[in-house]
Amino acid sequence: MPRPSSRHQQQAQQKPPRPKVCPFCEHMAKYIDYKDYPTLKPYTDYFGNIRQRYYTGICLKHQKMLREAIERARFMGMLAYRK
Amino acid sequence: MPTLVPTSEENAIYELCLLYPDNLSQKEEAQLLKEVEGLFDEAGGKQMVKDLWGKRGLAYPIKKHAEGNFAVLYYEIDPQKIKEINHQLLILPNVLRHLIVKPPKNYEVVKYSEHYEKWLKERKTVSETKAKEEEKVLQQKVVERARRQAKRAEEVKKEEQAAKPAVQEAELTEKLEKLISDEDIGL
Repeated sequence: MPRPSSRHQQQAQQKPPRPKVCPFCEHMAKYIDYKDYPTLKPYTDYFGNIRQRYYTGICLKHQKMLREAIERARFMGMLAYRK
Repeated sequence: MPTLVPTSEENAIYELCLLYPDNLSQKEEAQLLKEVEGLFDEAGGKQMVKDLWGKRGLAYPIKKHAEGNFAVLYYEIDPQKIKEINHQLLILPNVLRHLIVKPPKNYEVVKYSEHYEKWLKERKTVSETKAKEEEKVLQQKVVERARRQAKRAEEVKKEEQAAKPAVQEAELTEKLEKLISDEDIGL
């Protein structure tokens, strides 16, 4: 019977984590439009806050553009400030 | 969709998004739009694209209005005159919100009124298909559980059947031994 491998060895056997890919970089987005409700909506959570870059995988450049777009959309009443 | 490029270097392209209340009569609506267009015309602006979105729900009440109409206008105008137009728009009655934005270079106009309706329809179908898939998965789970229970029941029955004769044998041997060991019976 082979001896059960220790936890340390098991971790080493696991695959390396998948690299995050920015969904806007994939489409080569140069500008994120504040009028585009369907694309902005998924990047806000239930309470209306902007989702963290850590969870969505957006690059910093596009996160800044997204923030601008979401803030404009909020001003125009398309997105909620707070639920 | 057309890409917007200013005809001369002095002028720039601006995008105006207007939000006005839902309960205006058609006359008032037309008048409001005329006034807004008049502001730009006075300043020597040239309209490029006009996109009326129609009625839409608001994410939060603005001046106690739960719904509003959106209008998006693209103008080519002298950048120095935009400030005054912005101020004039603030004064106009029946305007809930307005936003003047300079779109990026070579901006391709997208009519989001059509986009939004398409998205609404797609979302419905997507949610329906998701619900169907979830139901399928649930049904499969139920079927598997039933199978497992049936298997278990069979196994239990077999075990009982296997266990029963052994008990009977033990009882039999006990009885036999009793009989044999009984001294009253003369053999």
